[in-house]
Amino acid sequence: MTSLLNLLLLVFGLLLSACTVVQPWERGNLAKPQMALDPYPLQSALRVHNYGSREASAGGNSAQGGGCGCY
Amino acid sequence: MKANKHQEQKKTVKSALESLTAAALILPGLLQQPALAAEDDEVDFQYSHYQEGKREISGITYNLDGSQSVSTVKSFNPIEVEGLHGSAKISLTDRFKFAFNYIQDTWGGATPISTAPVGFNVNSLLTGPDGQTIVGASPYLVGTGNTYLDQNLNPVSPSGLDPQSGEPSYTTDNQLTHVMSYASPETRKQGDFKLTYEWDEAALSLGGGISLEDDYESRFGNIGGRWDFNQKQTSVNLDLSYTNSETNAVLDHDAGGYLYPVNYSTQGFDQINNLENEPFTSRLQGTRQDWATHLGLSHVLSKDAVISGDIGYTRSTGYLSNPYKGVNTVFIDPDNQCCLSAGVAYRGSLYALMEQRPEIRNQWNLGGRFVQYIQPLDAALHFDYRFSADDWGIQAHAFEADWVQPVGHGWTITPRVRYYSQDAADFYTPWLVTMQPYNQQVDANGNNLGLPYDSSKFRNLAKPSADYSSYFSSDHRLSGYGALSGGVTVSKQFAKGVSVETGFEYYTHQGSLKMGGGGEGKYGDFDYWVANAALKVNLSALSFKPGPEATGHEHGEHSHHALPAGVMFGHLLPKALQMMVGYRYQYASQSGPMLNGTDLVMDQTIVSQGCTGARSVGCFAAPSNMAMHMHMLDIMYAPTDWLTLMLMPQFMDMSMSMRSLSGSPGGLDHSLNGHLGHHLQNSHETGGIGDLGMFALVKLFDDNMQHVHVTLGLSAPTGDVDMKMRRNHQIDGGFIHYGMQLGSGTWDLKPSLTYTGILGQWAWGAQVNGTVRMEGQNESGYRLGDLFQSTAWGGYHLLPWLNASIRGVYTVQTAVHGQFNGIEGQFFAEDGFTPTSSIKFGPMDYPQNYGGRFWDIGFGLNVTIPSGDLEGNQIGVEWLQPVHTDFNGYQLDRDGALAATWSVAF
Repeated sequence: MTSLLNLLLLVFGLLLSACTVVQPWERGNLAKPQMALDPYPLQSALRVHNYGSREASAGGNSAQGGGCGCY
Repeated sequence: MKANKHQEQKKTVKSALESLTAAALILPGLLQQPALAAEDDEVDFQYSHYQEGKREISGITYNLDGSQSVSTVKSFNPIEVEGLHGSAKISLTDRFKFAFNYIQDTWGGATPISTAPVGFNVNSLLTGPDGQTIVGASPYLVGTGNTYLDQNLNPVSPSGLDPQSGEPSYTTDNQLTHVMSYASPETRKQGDFKLTYEWDEAALSLGGGISLEDDYESRFGNIGGRWDFNQKQTSVNLDLSYTNSETNAVLDHDAGGYLYPVNYSTQGFDQINNLENEPFTSRLQGTRQDWATHLGLSHVLSKDAVISGDIGYTRSTGYLSNPYKGVNTVFIDPDNQCCLSAGVAYRGSLYALMEQRPEIRNQWNLGGRFVQYIQPLDAALHFDYRFSADDWGIQAHAFEADWVQPVGHGWTITPRVRYYSQDAADFYTPWLVTMQPYNQQVDANGNNLGLPYDSSKFRNLAKPSADYSSYFSSDHRLSGYGALSGGVTVSKQFAKGVSVETGFEYYTHQGSLKMGGGGEGKYGDFDYWVANAALKVNLSALSFKPGPEATGHEHGEHSHHALPAGVMFGHLLPKALQMMVGYRYQYASQSGPMLNGTDLVMDQTIVSQGCTGARSVGCFAAPSNMAMHMHMLDIMYAPTDWLTLMLMPQFMDMSMSMRSLSGSPGGLDHSLNGHLGHHLQNSHETGGIGDLGMFALVKLFDDNMQHVHVTLGLSAPTGDVDMKMRRNHQIDGGFIHYGMQLGSGTWDLKPSLTYTGILGQWAWGAQVNGTVRMEGQNESGYRLGDLFQSTAWGGYHLLPWLNASIRGVYTVQTAVHGQFNGIEGQFFAEDGFTPTSSIKFGPMDYPQNYGGRFWDIGFGLNVTIPSGDLEGNQIGVEWLQPVHTDFNGYQLDRDGALAATWSVAF
């Protein structure tokens, strides 16, 4: 649990330290498809389903519901 | 004056900046931060294939000199999954978005049901047709042998013959093996939706869905919100979901003597019901609920970097076990030890108890993702880390890195690597041993009194202090291991908003890869690969494109608007270099009475007449329901205005349930060695990729009112024609019948001639088409009958965007020629059974009971979206109602067929 808390602190620390304002017209690179948080959502859904049916941890999108895949 | 000028200059600079900003804002995607990139209207299709590698399985072989030895072989038929995913995202209004997903996967193959020391001889090793030893899919049945242990309760394995006595001798051997079981194909189908309302800096979404399998049904709903602030540089989202899942598993009666449900039937769980009409079959029922919540934050760090983090909590309650997994438990009765071989200190009895997991699981997730733009290469580096921990004692870490590299001309290559590691659950144990007899007390009426054991005495030798009195599982997914995977995704963005994406990933699960060591043994290692291919159509991008000539308003294009949905190859693309992408769904259903020719038949007649062939005694079963679903992609391209090329990949899935025929030979007692019970208790399912169609449409005549074209088509045999039932009772199930194979197995010629006309609000047409098999037989030994069809229709535009049609169809198809490879007779018993033979239960297993002459009438509606982002999209549905059926032989009556299409040309 402590490692979990430490990590949480690290993530929020990083976020707080990064308060530079990025103006909308400076977001050209960010708008590129390769910069999307998930560039291949269709394939990600498949991979998450495969990992989910082969691994004990629920993965990231546990708030979506879904089937068993329990082969 | 000077000051004024300065002010003016400032003003100019400012307005220049403003207009630049405004211009920048018009560029798509720039207004929004990438984390929340404006979701364009999009329709996507994805096919995937999951293939597990063969696992190493051990068993005991009996040698000619009377000794026994341990053999390790590769398991056969590892799990395969064929998957299809269709998804649509549509803007209902500027602010209302609707997303829909349809997912189906069909899986089948061998999977571990438990783990045992090799010396326990739980896998039966068989000799395959090629003379190689393979592993039997059916587990060893309890009671047919003993298990042997040394003085420290370690398992022993046979190690040749004792030189003094000449009897088999044993030595300590802690090597473990999975016990495999084989499943016939099964299909899961999932539909889900999400409705989102978007404000300028917030969004609220509501979603839900359902996932259906024969033995597992899951319903879920979710609600989510998103808030952007800090000039959309930061956004927070919060989701909550609820899932309710029902397990309704028919316990495998083939493993019935092995996998022991005593802990579920006598512990007060009351989860086991015996099926009334199947006395040897029981069903396990359980309900599970999952509540999950998830809080995420994404933030633009700089003009080149984005970060996101999330925290999630899932609470699961109810029946969380897997009804098909067991834990091998050795019961040693200290008062019953005698006459043991050399090297053996104890003899035990083996019972595979059904696994028992806790009824509650609390799981926490923490994840972070960092995306960095790499300026000189125009690439992006993605790094993900995810940690999860639960109160079952499992902690897991997952690391992933992706490099997204555009390489020009719309191509992007993305290599990726992922590492995952997890601890074992507290109650995980490969097997259990206990010093007590398995002793079931019964009352005067023969009912069980409590459990036949004291579970507080269960021990795992590797973890002597662990407590297995309440919970135990040998599922390898709860063991400690690590997994390494890597893959690559290649995508190509074509002009006009169409893109193609394909990916490959290899995954290896190994106990030795566990972080910090201490993972499960090598016996549990396995690997898989997944390949996928997707077609994505961005409707928003398409709608930018069309000039006035391509908007579909031209009257020349109305001719194909009016095509009934069930008509294929009905139109060319009107302009050179035009493309069209479409999706076509067909459903056909059969149920009700059995017919012979045009007449209803009694069971007795089917028994005596429906299964005629070499050495047949008659039919045992008949189909009671059959359903076929076809999903097809329609990809068209016109190199010139008189020629259109068309590619049509297909994905099929089929299901059938059967009933026993009254008056069948010997009735259920004579049930083909127990096979019939399996056929009646579960429906049969098959699914996967079908045949690939390639067509060329050539215009012969067109005067804007009337139009004639000819289509030459080829169908390539990409669909499987060797789908088989699983092994049962040590006997192979043989081929699933002809109608449930996924393709024809032959190269087929598919010519057609089409005439269409249009005048005012009226449209009409006619078509003749055929399917001719160009090979004598396919790899499985038969060929489907040739098919000829003629059809004519008329339609009327009720509204400018709505067309109704009526159609007549006449179809002739000949019977199946040849038959499945293997023996000719009906029974393996009389014929010297071979593993490739087909066991014939009913009329559908005989080639003469296929094809016929049919009349149908079709009622159709077509909609052309008149405006908005989806302008020019066409949707059609048609129901085909049978009006006359004249079957070859004995077949199940037809209910009708539905066709639905969507297409967009650009």
